[in-house]
Amino acid sequence: MAEAEAAHRRGDFGAALERYLVAAEASEIPPGELCLKIARCYDRLGRLEDAFAWLARIPDACDSFMVWSAAASTLGRLVKQARPPARRRSQVALAGSYTTSQLASMLPLAALGWQVDLTVREGLYDQYQQELIDPSSALYQAEPEQIIIAVHEGALRLPSHSQSPGADVQAEVERWTRLWQAARDHAGAGVIQHNFAVRPEVPLGHLSGGDPGSRYAMVQALNRELATAARDSGASMVDCDRLAAEFGRSSWFDDRYWFRSKQAVALEALPLLARHTAAVVGARLGLTRKCLVLDLDGTLWGGLIGEDGLEGIVLGGGEAGEAFVAFQEYILELKRRGVILAVASKNNEADAREVFERHPEMRVRLDDLAAFAVNWEDKPANLRRIAQSLGIGLDALVLADDNPAERQIVRRLVPEVDVLPMPEQPSDFRRVLAGYLGFESMAVTDEDRQRAAQYRARAAVAELASSASDIQSFYRDLRMKAEVAPFDELHLPRIAQLVGKTNQFNLTTRRHDAAALHGLMQDPACITRYLRLSDRFADHGLVALAIARKDEDVVDIDTLLMSCRVIGRTVEAHLLMHVSRAAQDAGATRLRGTYLPTAKNQLVADLYERFGFALIGEGEDGDTRWEYDLSGRGPIANEFIEDVIFDRDP
Amino acid sequence: MTEIHDRLQEIARDVFDDDELVLTDLTTAADVEGWDSLAHVAFMYSVEEEFGVHFSDAEFGGFTDIGDLKRTLEEKVSA
Repeated sequence: MAEAEAAHRRGDFGAALERYLVAAEASEIPPGELCLKIARCYDRLGRLEDAFAWLARIPDACDSFMVWSAAASTLGRLVKQARPPARRRSQVALAGSYTTSQLASMLPLAALGWQVDLTVREGLYDQYQQELIDPSSALYQAEPEQIIIAVHEGALRLPSHSQSPGADVQAEVERWTRLWQAARDHAGAGVIQHNFAVRPEVPLGHLSGGDPGSRYAMVQALNRELATAARDSGASMVDCDRLAAEFGRSSWFDDRYWFRSKQAVALEALPLLARHTAAVVGARLGLTRKCLVLDLDGTLWGGLIGEDGLEGIVLGGGEAGEAFVAFQEYILELKRRGVILAVASKNNEADAREVFERHPEMRVRLDDLAAFAVNWEDKPANLRRIAQSLGIGLDALVLADDNPAERQIVRRLVPEVDVLPMPEQPSDFRRVLAGYLGFESMAVTDEDRQRAAQYRARAAVAELASSASDIQSFYRDLRMKAEVAPFDELHLPRIAQLVGKTNQFNLTTRRHDAAALHGLMQDPACITRYLRLSDRFADHGLVALAIARKDEDVVDIDTLLMSCRVIGRTVEAHLLMHVSRAAQDAGATRLRGTYLPTAKNQLVADLYERFGFALIGEGEDGDTRWEYDLSGRGPIANEFIEDVIFDRDP
Repeated sequence: MTEIHDRLQEIARDVFDDDELVLTDLTTAADVEGWDSLAHVAFMYSVEEEFGVHFSDAEFGGFTDIGDLKRTLEEKVSA
């Protein structure tokens, strides 16, 4: 490192970088200072993308003000040259009651850790109230998606002791919620409110909590009331009071900095506050991670089930085993808030199942899991399989694995997956999982609580589908219901949308616009059908449609398309069944169809052939014409979807 | 003294985001681009953190140049 720093100092950034990178290889999570040095070397060498990538590692690597502040100013300079690669870009405004410049500069760095390119517009010092109320204030000019209200306990209009604490607290609740409403009215912005860290000085000492008129008790009551109001109105809270306790209340309030520069939060606490605030911003942007993937040996229990057997593994019954039980119990708490659980482990599946089914100290049970990938394949392959079976992206997964080599391979090969920095000691597992901020979400709804079951069923269906031998019971098991009917006004917007954008499962790719579709609806020679689908897991909405035209005894299919979300479950057969029946009812004896190839619709080149249509013509551009003998063969059949009429109410 | 100087220079380079910044004993805040009151707080806080010292209110705002700050630091570190 000394050599690297010497090279850095003399301006030889290439040589310095090379040595820094070697040093970084030595640890799983390189120290923040090192990440910063590497980022700066990359910057000097003109490699901005790499510089951004190393800056993005700093939020997870350390909480040092010095490193964060330096990294934040580097980032602030680099974004003037180029925007960093990100999953999302977003604009926020910061309205504050104290000097928020340091926080404002750190937020983009913290957000970059979540792959969010955040632009922060900072309001004027202690002008939060005016800026939020005034629709023409500079705060709203930048059209922020979110407004962060970063305020401190000193901004509260509460006396040091109150004769009417209930009314005083209520007045404050109303004042803050009115500001939230103003933010929504004037900018359509989401609100992120910092709550109020209770000060450590309590004149009433241990009596404070018992005296509702004490400022101590009033601030606590206000925080509770604001949390409830936020829940009910869709605002988000950042629980600064909890963060202050975690950080150390007497360090959070460093009055030297308040008196010198009106810093209400100690500088050293700002990285923590920025990380938590950015996590809430991420949650509001929909970046909440959905699924926790668990390793087994060494993670959910101690020892190796394959070697040690059911009696030999460490779980419950004594110090070491209790740590695993506590970890499992916390995992179940996460499941209760809507996090999906899955297992990925190299083991014999039967051995692993036996632990879940028979070990008396197991807390996590098989039916808590939405996916169970226990086999001898590598972790990246299993993570991909889990994501696929649950129908979620890799960037929704978080891995907990005690094996550093597995963690490294996942970081390298599937960088979309977030990897928990699992500590060596099982007694620290719960704390590390609890400190992970990627599960922060906007709200916990009943739907979240049900989610595990829904995904488990969906995964079960995906599993079933992969065993093609039993494809028919798979279809039946989906319990699909469809409403198939002629186009109507109610469904026209969705119909026009599908006609306009469907590329893959689209036989002719004819982009009729809304007016043309309207015309077709009125035309007595036209047969139009839309198909809405639901199954036991979800209401898929309107997913397929057909347009056909009758000419004497022939019905010619002009348009046949379907959303790719519902491929492979006989929906197209069901739609063709309805079209062929309608054709028959209209007195037709033949059904015709056309396939017009595009760059994207290869998928359906042989669709008509599969349904027993005969090839009757072939054009120069690869387009094909097909005919089905309706009078001889009767309408096309499908037995897997039940016809229903859906309720009109949502 | 050179060790203190090098560490201060390192902090200044980080805080003011300038890899080529060179401090001398005669450097004042006015000589460094971007050294405003906020950057000053960040700089002084970083110095406190790096050296494990606490400045008094007078020391915090009151040094005339880097040489002055180094003398203060030396007293504190050796105390």
